[in-house]
Amino acid sequence: MRSWLKMIKELTIRPKGERQIRKSPTYSYDEDMNKPLSGIKVKEILSGSSDVVFREFILQGKERIPCLLVAVDGMVDKNQLDLFILKPLMVDLAGHPEVAQLTLANVVDRTLQSLLPGLEFKKISKMGEAIDAILSGDAVIFFGDSMEALVFGARGWEKRAVAEPITETIVKGPHEGFMETIRINTSLLRRKIKHPSLRMISLKLGNLTNTDLVVTYMDKIASPDIVSEVLRRLGNIKMDGVLGNGYIEDMIEDNPYSPFPQMAYTERPDVLAGKLLEGKVGIILDGTPIVLVVPATLTQFLNVNEDYYQRPLSVILFRFVRYLGAFMALLAPSIYIAVTTFHQEIIPTDLLMSISAGRQGVPFPALLEALTMMVVLEILQEAGLRLPKPIGQTIGIVGALIIGDAAVKASLVSPLMVIIVGLTAVANYAIPYYDLSIAVRLIRFPLMILAGTLGFFGVTVGLYVITIHLLSLRSFGVPYLSPVSPLHIRALLQDTFVRSPWWALKRRPQLIDVEEPRSGWKGKRKGRG
Amino acid sequence: MERISTHQFMTLGAAVLMGATFLPVASLVTGVGGRDGWMSVLPGFAVGIPYGLMVLSLVERYPHKNLLQISETLFGKWIGKIIGVIYILITGYLGGLLLGQAGEIYQTSVMPLTPISVFYLGGLLLVFYLVRSGIEVFARFSEVIFPLIVIALVLDVGLSIPRIEQGELMPILSEGLKPLFWGGIKVLPFPLTYILFLAGIAAFLPTGKQELGQLKTGVWRAVFLVGILDTLVALIQILVFGPTETIRLVYGLLVLGKMVEVSKTVAGVESLFLGVWLGAGVIKISAFFFTAIWGLETVFGLKGLKWDLAVGIVFLGIALQFMRGPSLIKEIGLLDDYLVLPFVSVWILTLWGVARWKKGAGV
Amino acid sequence: MKRTKLKMGLGVLLIACILFLTGCWGKREVENLAPLIGVGIDLGQKPGTYLITEQFSIPEKGGETGAEIQGRTFSVEASNVREADEKISKIAYRKPFMGSLKVIVIGEDAAKAGFNDILDFAQRFPEFRRSMYLVLTKGKAQSILNLKLGVNTSPAMFIKNNLEKWETISTYPMVNLGHYLTVLSRKSTAPIIPLVKSIKSGDGGIEYKTERKDGAEEIQLEGAGVLRGDRLVDFLTDEETKGYMWLENDVIHRLIDTVGIEESKVNFGGKVLKSTTKYNVKGKDGTIGLEYQIKASIAVDEVMGLKEQLSETEWVDLMKGAEKSFAKVIQQECELSIKRERELGLDFLGIGRHIEQKNPAYWKTVKDQWEQKIADFPVSLNVQVTIHNSGMSSSSPTTN
Repeated sequence: MRSWLKMIKELTIRPKGERQIRKSPTYSYDEDMNKPLSGIKVKEILSGSSDVVFREFILQGKERIPCLLVAVDGMVDKNQLDLFILKPLMVDLAGHPEVAQLTLANVVDRTLQSLLPGLEFKKISKMGEAIDAILSGDAVIFFGDSMEALVFGARGWEKRAVAEPITETIVKGPHEGFMETIRINTSLLRRKIKHPSLRMISLKLGNLTNTDLVVTYMDKIASPDIVSEVLRRLGNIKMDGVLGNGYIEDMIEDNPYSPFPQMAYTERPDVLAGKLLEGKVGIILDGTPIVLVVPATLTQFLNVNEDYYQRPLSVILFRFVRYLGAFMALLAPSIYIAVTTFHQEIIPTDLLMSISAGRQGVPFPALLEALTMMVVLEILQEAGLRLPKPIGQTIGIVGALIIGDAAVKASLVSPLMVIIVGLTAVANYAIPYYDLSIAVRLIRFPLMILAGTLGFFGVTVGLYVITIHLLSLRSFGVPYLSPVSPLHIRALLQDTFVRSPWWALKRRPQLIDVEEPRSGWKGKRKGRG
Repeated sequence: MERISTHQFMTLGAAVLMGATFLPVASLVTGVGGRDGWMSVLPGFAVGIPYGLMVLSLVERYPHKNLLQISETLFGKWIGKIIGVIYILITGYLGGLLLGQAGEIYQTSVMPLTPISVFYLGGLLLVFYLVRSGIEVFARFSEVIFPLIVIALVLDVGLSIPRIEQGELMPILSEGLKPLFWGGIKVLPFPLTYILFLAGIAAFLPTGKQELGQLKTGVWRAVFLVGILDTLVALIQILVFGPTETIRLVYGLLVLGKMVEVSKTVAGVESLFLGVWLGAGVIKISAFFFTAIWGLETVFGLKGLKWDLAVGIVFLGIALQFMRGPSLIKEIGLLDDYLVLPFVSVWILTLWGVARWKKGAGV
Repeated sequence: MKRTKLKMGLGVLLIACILFLTGCWGKREVENLAPLIGVGIDLGQKPGTYLITEQFSIPEKGGETGAEIQGRTFSVEASNVREADEKISKIAYRKPFMGSLKVIVIGEDAAKAGFNDILDFAQRFPEFRRSMYLVLTKGKAQSILNLKLGVNTSPAMFIKNNLEKWETISTYPMVNLGHYLTVLSRKSTAPIIPLVKSIKSGDGGIEYKTERKDGAEEIQLEGAGVLRGDRLVDFLTDEETKGYMWLENDVIHRLIDTVGIEESKVNFGGKVLKSTTKYNVKGKDGTIGLEYQIKASIAVDEVMGLKEQLSETEWVDLMKGAEKSFAKVIQQECELSIKRERELGLDFLGIGRHIEQKNPAYWKTVKDQWEQKIADFPVSLNVQVTIHNSGMSSSSPTTN
């Protein structure tokens, strides 16, 4: 047995000598990071790229000090550099008595304290800090061979205007959305919550991408356990690059194998603010407008922020429809298959006749018919995503209808099947969170197969397996199926399937144990309260 | 040590107590009690209350121990171990029998051509998954499923009201109270199997003063809820079928479900009930799986994946033994009447008595 | 730990896949089914056999209009249902599907000989529901089920649809299998099953256009048959069945008229809006008897024979008289029914049950000789009618 394995190994893996294993760039980079800085070394490291600008100039003080300004063209706001560094140092202050005092020893401090206007100036002394700063869009000024340098924050790059996110549109509420620049996002959030207890903790992730990350929460409202758990898991991430939320999600999720999303996300500042006020923790990532929100529970995925802007009675209708849609999307094909294949006695006789008549001449058994149509549907949906926007939508729907109609005429599928598949596809979109609708699409298939082989018993077993799985999922310590189980009756009644009006939602969600009421009247008020 | 909350204790207890009792209960009590048999359901279940309270008072005195460990403490090692072995045997056997019943009902009523081992495997898979996920998930599962069971039962009863035959309930108590007594005896094993489960789960219960009070209310609530539901089930069957038919019908509730027809469109809700029934059955079988495992762990110190699998296979084996429906029911009946009833009633009573005596004696 | 869990999961998945590979059991595609709608039971030629008629409804794809239903009916002689199924399966197009059975028609001869054995299948087979209907027929069930009706539907569906509207006319009982079995288990009550007949044009005063020369094309639901256990003893007439409906508190809505009572010269026609029947088991001078209390509320729709315009008070008096007339009609029907019960010695009115419910001690003394006691058991009637309204006008249009 072992010799077989060895043979297979030798045949399939190339011997070591032919490969040259290269060292990853982080390796050599890390070595230098904590060394004291030197402008010459920096020039060496960065001179390979043509978009890094090196501007040398001379400061004539007591000593002649050669200075070097390093910045990345395209990331830095060149006007600010001219106005706040080059102009003062080279033009305005030439001959100034202050400048006359400058020596190599005191130039950094003196310049920082008295010579340079500009808001964001900082002193640094390590190589890593200098490189990070330059590559993040700041400008660094090196003075001779001093081991300290100044960082000027003058970031300015091309970005799009603040617009409403396409995926989360609402009718009655603000239309702002997050951007790709992290500073803008934090500012949008600050505008919603103007209280000192809104905390933001900065991290950098990704060895090669050095992506900025901000963990934000409300101090005293969010559970300190969750916050520290989030920070701990983030700190454990060691990756080359963090380009999007998906990277982080996989690394810090409780159960990455589950089809169900364990983190919510949003592109809207008002949603994020609302969730933070409920005690959740947000993870803002530079380079993407999507903000992760933890912890997440299943019912949260089916509630939308619009619910909080609309009237309570209408919300009941909307939420009911959404839950119904979710169930239909999950179960409709399976029930159809199970009933028409195994349990025909359930169908009322007239309906039985119609179904039977519709299926005359169809060469496939119901299971195969359903599976084929669902697969075709998935292909159409995937194709619709890749095509340009206007064409994509139409292709998806029209394609499905036309193909479906033609298939019915050719007696390849029964008309009821087309209806069910269409309804399922549409019902899928009633699920607000894309991640969850994908999960539903995934689970539909095994359920259909179970229905086709074991009828209702199969569907029931499948549903129970999913339920048990959901019950054992946790999102950062919070059981996934709260508040249904473990039962928090107040939360269940107030904000899960229906929403109480704000004057009734007096206490905070039961997931967090904060005493003070969050809404209600100041003093007494007639009638309600 | 995993813990369950007080509310979960109530739903879990109710779910285990209910188990699948709603299926045979009508036929059972009417068989011995006649037309008035349904009245003996609630009193029969109520016997579970004192026993449950006894178990809880033992928990109060010996926190975080299950009753087998307490038995060892109070009766001495060897008697304790013997009790443990009997415990394992009874609950294990019951579990296997219930698995058999689960498969049997599905096969008889909806899918006759599927080999019954498929149902056994499916049920066992669910039970296994539940058990391996731990008692907390089990408690949560019952929290989710039990309300569904209640809703399904209430619907079945409610939607059958149009089918009630006039006057089947009368005359009341024409035979006197003695049939009620026999009916009650027949019902007794149901709450006692619940007590068996309590004996094992005692180790996982919260032990604060306030929580114990809530646990006690939990026992009352569970018993009353299940007792009333079962009474309704028996009652509606008498009302619709009359006593002779009720005794004759093996799965009366299912037949009721088949008769439901709301304005000609909604028909065939029996599949919903079957689905929910599977959940109830799975809960009860898992409960016995747990008790068997706890027993093994306490008495012999055996635990781990291997032993879980072993118990599972034993269950399967027992279920496969009884391939015929009538003999299965008979076997369950025998086990209930002659083993469960005496063993549990005596054991718990003695345990509690000895604990009280020891407390009284200041030990 | 995670890896073993993963491996276990994979193992389970593999086993599951293998199970599925072997195929699905009990699977049947809906288009391959021939739903069974009606079953007829007659006696077969050979002793010990039955002539079983099975009526199928076979849907076909009907182009633009949807389903087109063709019906096929087969009759076969067999000694039990399963044997009949086997024989019919050999010639039926598609697989017979039992779950949609709606009506069981029992022929006169089979009913007289007793049909409990055949019925055992119906209550044991899990696909059946206890809500399927039982009807009796004069003559052979086979001929009823083989009728080509004027409306485009099969006789079984016809019977089912008509049975389902029993509440609007309440002149015949609706008996489904469950009800029949429950009544059977009471032992003291004799079951009663409604009767269907085929009607030729001209029969019973009804005429209609026919396609064929002398074939019957319509089915009538009228009257009932009384059984002892599962054996047919005799038939009840229309009036007797109506009386039964009153006494059993089964009248929901009924059309009623007073012609023939001869109470007054004016006759009324109306619709029963509500009717309740209460039972009182009373002892009178030492003998126990049953008193029926029937209260009905009727809306008058038709007044005939009114020769003059009446004033308000006269109209009210006329209505009071109408109440008495209606009450007499109801009483007459009930008395006919009770008389029949005494003649037959079969308690299809369920008097025994009422005694058992209200006075179990007395019931215990008489129950063994109940059949004999029926003949002279004291039964009294108390009928009260209220006229709820009299339609859109008070007096009738008259010529003077």
